[in-house]
Amino acid sequence: MVTVKINGKEITVADNTLILEAARDAGCEVPTFCYQADLMGLGSCRMCLVEIEGQKKLQPSCITPVLHGMSILTDSSTVTAARAGVLEFLLANHAMDCPVCDKAGECELQDMVYKYGPAKGAHAETKFKFHEKDYVLSPVIIKNSNRCVQCTKCVRVCREVVGVGVLGSVGRGDHQEETSFLKGLLDCDQDGNCIEVCPVGCFMRLPYRYKARQWDLKSADTVCPYCATGCRMVIEERDGVVVRARAQHGVGVNSETLCSRGRFGFDFIGNAERLTTPLVRKDGVLVPSTWEEAVAVIKENLSAFEGSRIGGVASPRLTNEELYLFQKLFREVLGSPNVDSSARWDSSGVEAFIKAAGMNEGGVSVFDCMDSDAVFIIGSQVSEENPVTDYIIRRISSGRRMNLVIASPRAMKLDSSAQTVVRHNPATEGALLKAIILTLNENKLSVSAGINAIKETKLTDCVASSGVSLEVIKRIADGLKNAESISILVGTEFLRFPEGIDGLDLLKDVCRKSLGKKLRILPLLDRCNQRGAWEMGVHPGFGTGYRAIAGRGMGTHAMLEAATRRGLDAMYVAGVDIASMYPDAGHAREALSALKFLVVQDMFLTDTTRLADVVLPSSAFAEKDGAFTNQEGRVQTIARLKNPPGKAKRDGDIIRAIGQSFERSFGPDNASLVFDEIRREAEMYKEVSLVFNNKRNIDNKLDNKEALVKASSALARGFSAWNGGAPSSEETGDYPFTLMTGNHLFHSGALSSNSASLSGLLRAAVVEISNEDADEMGVKSGSLVRVKGMTHESDMKVIVRRGSKKGVAFIAENFADTPVNRFFSRGRSGARVSITRLG
Amino acid sequence: MEKALLKNYGNAETHKIDVYIAGGGYVALASAMKMQSDQIIQLVKDSGLRGRGGAGFPTGLKWSFIPKDPTIPKFLCCNADEGEPGTFKDRGIIDFDPHLLIEGMIIASFAFGASKSYIYIRGEFAFGAKRLETAIKEAYQKGFLGKNILGSGFAHDMYVHRGFGAYICGEETALLESIEGWRAQPRKKPPFPALSGLYGKPTVINNVETLSCIPAIISRGAKWFSSIGPEKSPGPKIFGVSGHVKKPGLYELPMGTTIRELIFDHCGGMSSDRPLKAVIPGGVSAPMLNANDLDTKLDFDSLASKGSMLGSGAVIVMDSSTCMVKTAYIINRFFSHESCGKCTPCRDGTPWLTKVLKRLEHGEGRIGDVELLERLCSNIFGRTFCPLGDGAVMALRGFIKNFREEFQYHVDNKKCKAA
Repeated sequence: MVTVKINGKEITVADNTLILEAARDAGCEVPTFCYQADLMGLGSCRMCLVEIEGQKKLQPSCITPVLHGMSILTDSSTVTAARAGVLEFLLANHAMDCPVCDKAGECELQDMVYKYGPAKGAHAETKFKFHEKDYVLSPVIIKNSNRCVQCTKCVRVCREVVGVGVLGSVGRGDHQEETSFLKGLLDCDQDGNCIEVCPVGCFMRLPYRYKARQWDLKSADTVCPYCATGCRMVIEERDGVVVRARAQHGVGVNSETLCSRGRFGFDFIGNAERLTTPLVRKDGVLVPSTWEEAVAVIKENLSAFEGSRIGGVASPRLTNEELYLFQKLFREVLGSPNVDSSARWDSSGVEAFIKAAGMNEGGVSVFDCMDSDAVFIIGSQVSEENPVTDYIIRRISSGRRMNLVIASPRAMKLDSSAQTVVRHNPATEGALLKAIILTLNENKLSVSAGINAIKETKLTDCVASSGVSLEVIKRIADGLKNAESISILVGTEFLRFPEGIDGLDLLKDVCRKSLGKKLRILPLLDRCNQRGAWEMGVHPGFGTGYRAIAGRGMGTHAMLEAATRRGLDAMYVAGVDIASMYPDAGHAREALSALKFLVVQDMFLTDTTRLADVVLPSSAFAEKDGAFTNQEGRVQTIARLKNPPGKAKRDGDIIRAIGQSFERSFGPDNASLVFDEIRREAEMYKEVSLVFNNKRNIDNKLDNKEALVKASSALARGFSAWNGGAPSSEETGDYPFTLMTGNHLFHSGALSSNSASLSGLLRAAVVEISNEDADEMGVKSGSLVRVKGMTHESDMKVIVRRGSKKGVAFIAENFADTPVNRFFSRGRSGARVSITRLG
Repeated sequence: MEKALLKNYGNAETHKIDVYIAGGGYVALASAMKMQSDQIIQLVKDSGLRGRGGAGFPTGLKWSFIPKDPTIPKFLCCNADEGEPGTFKDRGIIDFDPHLLIEGMIIASFAFGASKSYIYIRGEFAFGAKRLETAIKEAYQKGFLGKNILGSGFAHDMYVHRGFGAYICGEETALLESIEGWRAQPRKKPPFPALSGLYGKPTVINNVETLSCIPAIISRGAKWFSSIGPEKSPGPKIFGVSGHVKKPGLYELPMGTTIRELIFDHCGGMSSDRPLKAVIPGGVSAPMLNANDLDTKLDFDSLASKGSMLGSGAVIVMDSSTCMVKTAYIINRFFSHESCGKCTPCRDGTPWLTKVLKRLEHGEGRIGDVELLERLCSNIFGRTFCPLGDGAVMALRGFIKNFREEFQYHVDNKKCKAA
């Protein structure tokens, strides 16, 4: 600790604290453009110059650390004169077009000139102009370099945080321009973090252009509705239309960053295709109706069936309160144990996953995970599924020594931060983990039960099936052995292919019990409230807070299976597009059509709603209050910004209305009362704090541990392990590629395809293959190919990804024109396809 | 005085290693290899050699900052990005005596334990770069470079790195960025390169002329070196004289030679009958001196006391026909064109100065322009990231200080006084 004097006030700060930070701690404002705590220090804008007694020259406080006994002046006349001088220079070539600038009103340059600027500018020369008209850098970013203050935060955030390095400085001196080569963002993530960090109106959102002035906007603090990273953001509306989403520096796990989905994907809210009125099927046609009629029809029909013959699937994008009410409606009102929260994943796989990932042990902070000596990411395309988690990992791993291992069949952006990159065969996470365990076990660890179970398994078999060399496996095992603390980040591949979960469970036991390591497991999930959905008990195998329940119900798989056998009469689907998400399209359609009564509640007409008897128009995240639980187990609130369009209602109100048509007292009545009930029902949520918000203050840290769910002792019995058996072996001759699916960087489920901005980034399905395969086939990114599976074929463009595993093809799961689930069929693990070049 | 640096200048053969060896080359290297590395550093300290790149920092002291830990890789970078207008001294050594530089670099590397060295040569010096590349190849063949140099067990590799055509590349930390493949912009200091330089490792950056002094110091001793010129800044110095003199060119003379001696004794006096008007003593960023200062000694301290600096030793001589406004405009245009764009005062300040000077030169001056220039200068000076902006201001301030009435004449009469 060192003691320094700032403007005469003594303050003690940690060694190597920057003068700027120390001054801010002491309550002295130091203006700056180029400084941002988590980006590389630059010291270039010269706004933060301060006077240090005894030094002739003013010093940049943002790169100068304090020394013991320093006496610093932050507002002496020399300092204020220097600031005014710098601002005069910045304005010399500045466009001064505030009246037409989107940034006006929240522009740092405006604010600083107002506060520190010279009373009068002396610049009377011709201004240098980079260009006459703003130019479009990408479908979501537009640029006006004439307003630039050259802080290069955009370049640094692009390189250091996002990890793409699309932006750079071109030219020299006052001709220096922060842009990309050819003024097109060739390999950009389109996340707009450059816009967020830009202090002036140089980088701007194209969709927001000329839509509003900052002072016209009404805002609400919320959480991004896409993946489960749980990024805090502020959404803003004008005249009932949400026009902007932004993040704030120092707030939420994401700080100032968002990904393309979070920043630009909110416009599905204002999509004209939104359902605005309930629809009821009459004479085979869905016709507009009233809520009274729709609820009456639902009550009449559902009353006719036995509870156990009704099933419910709710979207993991609903709030905790809504999901809680949903399962309460089924379990307590309809008397049905059949609830599930995903069309994609097998419910017993989910149960095994929750156990293996130790989710009942309480929340795990991603920042704590990144504090470990070794971090092992497996089964996740984290750079695309959880982009902001990718930023967090990149940012932290570049700043400290750690062993980062990434295992994924597909190459990803984060690979460049990893010490070891593993390319295993798709769906062989289990084999890979077992190979690691067997390597760790060479010295005969004290035997835990699991190791006995795989002692018959041969290392060579595991190595062969994973397709990874023994040398790499040994390196990973050594890395784990040498680390004191280990974090494993597990992704959704384990849910798609649950046969890998026992390997994960075993590795957890080996690390903790046999090797005595401090181990954390963080699930990486792709729907904003997937964890919340499970913890609310929207699962056939357990109740709220992972509590044991009396009778096991049916999951989505079982419900569809039962429906085709006429063992299920009715379903109530809230926000899930089963027909296009269930990994066997034909079967899903057949099953849903076989139901006697189908209620679907959604924002849009989907393939599933088209099969429904009653369609209920529901709401977007911006239209309701509630809380999401992110993948770490952080419970964060969302706030209502506007009302749903037309007669659409909030999901919670719909569920409550249906419940009340059966029982007048069904409730509680509003989100906060529901949450109180959740606190009573689920021990994990009892003490969770919801006070965290988007206000920047000292208590509002990035890593707000009060929001993490606590451990649950409610788990009455051990979760059942996965017993689905090994995948059936496949003929590979005619179909040389293994087809993988998941989320695309710009898309996530059906929600994103309703966003004009995100659809503008990528409209049609593409198939991604490795560069090795592309070279063999003689195709390039953009070539047209035919993808042919056993059940389906489709033509699409190819994208070549350097470094992916040979023989792996990837198609994202969200495209309506090419539903990837048509390639899959039940009973087979994964799908195989052939890819042939067209033209 | 017997020449140490320019002894082979103009010789068509001396760039060849055999000719260089025949002239007593690489003897200093052999004797250095028999010394302890500390001894060499002490010898250079004793010689009083100060960096010839412009700042005049004591070379031995710079070397002694390098950590002694043998496990840390260390680098030597030779700054051959000779780009300041008026300066052409390093080129004289590189083109005609590349082995002198290479020998000096090997000795320096041996002294503080650098395993690799880079010669960062200005991109335009294609001829010099080829000469150096050939010379390095020859030195490898003779065993002066590579593994186990002269049986000492010391291993060293040397590379030529061609520059990217910007004046800022000559700023030592921008030079490091450029070698690493980044955009050449200065780095923040501290950490200083001696602790964290090239690729984050301890690095010494020395000028060509500085390193070329080393063989002579080794073979003739520190005493010989320190006895030449003034006590505080001794040694031979190359002056590159240009402008209105009869015989412009490179002159190796003792430090502390006066301007008058240089111009009238060595360069044959002024090129015409017109009297001397001004002298820039050390490259264009050095504030100019006028005809009254001709007896100023050309060494670091004497020039500093006159408010100017020795810089690179590039002496630019101007006679009475020279318009000071135009000269100031041309020099300032250079600096604003070469400003790297990193920090605000230099990036936006120097072009502003240029615009005002351009107006003045073109007869479009406005009342208050001279005061505006002065105010802008004070807004730039001392507030920039690196010395480039300071250099631009120092030069302009020198012009205004000495010839303010000429600037004012341009404002008042919209034309030039000198013409």
